[in-house]
Amino acid sequence: MDAATTETKTKTSPKPGKPIWPKVPADFVRAMLAGHSALGLAFAALIYLVCFSGSIAVFTQEYTRWEQPAGPVLQQTTPQAVDKAFRQALTHNPTAHDLLIQLPEAVRPRLTVHLDDANKAERTFVADASGAVVGELKTPWTEFQAELHTVLHLPRAWGGFVVGLTGVALLSSLVSGVLSHPRVFKDAFAFRWGGSKRLQEADLHNRISVWGLPFHLVVSLTGAFLGLTVIIVGVLALATFKGDTAKAYALFTGPTVVDDPRPAPVLDLAKTLETLRAAHPQARPTYLYVEHPGEQGQHVMVNAVTPGRLSRGETFVVDGDGKLLGEVGYESGTLGQKVLSSMTPLHFGWFGGWPVKVAYLLLGLGLTSVTSSGVAIWLARRRDKGRPAPRWERVWIAFVWSQPFAYAVSALAALVLPAPPVTVWIAATLAASATAIVWTPAAISVRLRLATALGLLAAAGVHAALNGGRMADPVGWIMDATLVLTALLLTLSTARRTTAVASH
Amino acid sequence: MSGPLAPSALVGLALTPLPLVAVLMLRRAWDRNGPDRPWLIAGAWALLAATLVASGFLLGGARGPSIVLALGSTLALVLVATGVEFRNAKKKAPRELALEPSERRRIAWRGWLRGFLAGPLAGIAALGCGLAVAICAPGAVQSRMVIGGLLVPFLWAGGMAWTLSDDKILRATAVLTGVSVVTLGAAFLKGAL
Repeated sequence: MDAATTETKTKTSPKPGKPIWPKVPADFVRAMLAGHSALGLAFAALIYLVCFSGSIAVFTQEYTRWEQPAGPVLQQTTPQAVDKAFRQALTHNPTAHDLLIQLPEAVRPRLTVHLDDANKAERTFVADASGAVVGELKTPWTEFQAELHTVLHLPRAWGGFVVGLTGVALLSSLVSGVLSHPRVFKDAFAFRWGGSKRLQEADLHNRISVWGLPFHLVVSLTGAFLGLTVIIVGVLALATFKGDTAKAYALFTGPTVVDDPRPAPVLDLAKTLETLRAAHPQARPTYLYVEHPGEQGQHVMVNAVTPGRLSRGETFVVDGDGKLLGEVGYESGTLGQKVLSSMTPLHFGWFGGWPVKVAYLLLGLGLTSVTSSGVAIWLARRRDKGRPAPRWERVWIAFVWSQPFAYAVSALAALVLPAPPVTVWIAATLAASATAIVWTPAAISVRLRLATALGLLAAAGVHAALNGGRMADPVGWIMDATLVLTALLLTLSTARRTTAVASH
Repeated sequence: MSGPLAPSALVGLALTPLPLVAVLMLRRAWDRNGPDRPWLIAGAWALLAATLVASGFLLGGARGPSIVLALGSTLALVLVATGVEFRNAKKKAPRELALEPSERRRIAWRGWLRGFLAGPLAGIAALGCGLAVAICAPGAVQSRMVIGGLLVPFLWAGGMAWTLSDDKILRATAVLTGVSVVTLGAAFLKGAL
């Protein structure tokens, strides 16, 4: 946070009262600001990318529905239909090692079965209300954006570590930011726009940081934990299990079924679900993970949610004969298991319906703009001191607006081109960043926003044209309307500055 | 096998006026330095606390407060944005002297050492503390592992903030090295969950 908000109050601002916050020594604040500044600059681009992609990832389920808006849209299903879908999908690879069956729920009204086919290619089949497989689910852009946030499209272990380290840097910035903000109460509602660039950015930076602090702490801590899990568990296993990480993970997987590859009749998922319903009538199954189907050691892990819980749900283990072996303990076990199962919903805002998702999107974009304004404050401070860094000013603004642009272009391309969205995203990011070579910061900001708006409008238009006649899922239309609205807001945001850019 | 989230979403929305009122009270206290200022501040925080407790009963012990905090923070930011004061760019307001980051002499080895302290060494020390909790603390093994795991990013972040701001980097080196040796030593010596 920047301490530069000590501008004398104008007549509209409040009279200063007796300070509530203890007086912080100036030297301490200056030292904290130096550390905050160094860390923020070192990780600025990574924090920005992770925050922006995370804000977008809140609506991952909705992107799946947008990319595949055709039917069948199901609000519920039957155990018999689940079993039928499972068996039909299994015909594509009878020796599949495992299958993931996702049941319809409000946020994802589809019955799907995911497995590796005989050529080891991942496939997801969609079934209708009777359980008959009627098509295949293809959501390349949804997968692209989720993987960008979680592993930056790097190998999983490395990507997770980099994202986790970015979460640690963000958390550290929050700590040093709070400690370097001696006027946290005095300036609590001061939000001044216009005049000095540095003070404007500082107000934006500090107000969003302070009022969004609970959210910022939660997402950075859970994100860092989720990203660093591999390393933490690896070192723990080294200390306690002679490096066998499987033994460490086994503490969180519930009852184990002995691996027995001898052939057996494929298990009956209808029986599995009925067993579960009899034992836990209040639990609502959301997905089933079938391991080693057609073997003596086959078994199912059924995830089921209970209303009013923050967790992802409890996981029940059912063997090949339909016998309930027990549960992992995510809802009924130790404090650690309960906390662990709450991490992902808490990190992505998947626990309170659409109002919380919208709040997470806005707060996430707020955190993204805090990162952006942090660098802008540093650049403005240099300019104020007579040491401007015009190249960095151009590079930073180009990078900031490169991401909305690259996301819009990759979404558009995913609708019409067979190219992987990540390739399009890289190309669009490079192209947008290259504008730093030729344009002024104001021109970069305005033109990339307009280009993004154009990309969003095109994506909505192409999507509606391609799917208009078969849009069974209303979320398809809602997402298109949201894209158009976002494009309009982006265009409006440039209105004041377009004249200034045109005069350059 | 379906369960719409709409009811809980609506309950969450129905609770949002309460934190909004609390933030409005805080803004009123901030705006006017009258005799009712302490009451407004105390009342606002009491209302926030009451909303969090009520949400726990209505929406679930952990879930309710999480929902209220997310929605309340968003509304607070909207409220702050509504109070925006547009300044005249041509008319510069007088300013007090703003605090600046401390200026440090640029010495290469100190920069590298500071980076090493904030990154690998603070990370190793934090990992050591997390491991020590996971292995040596009392309680269920899963709880120790998760709490120890959560401590790692938190302590690493704290160590990072400290080493990057403390000018006495040799002190930071000694403390972090000591913490790493003691905690990792304890964890590997015990060596069993």
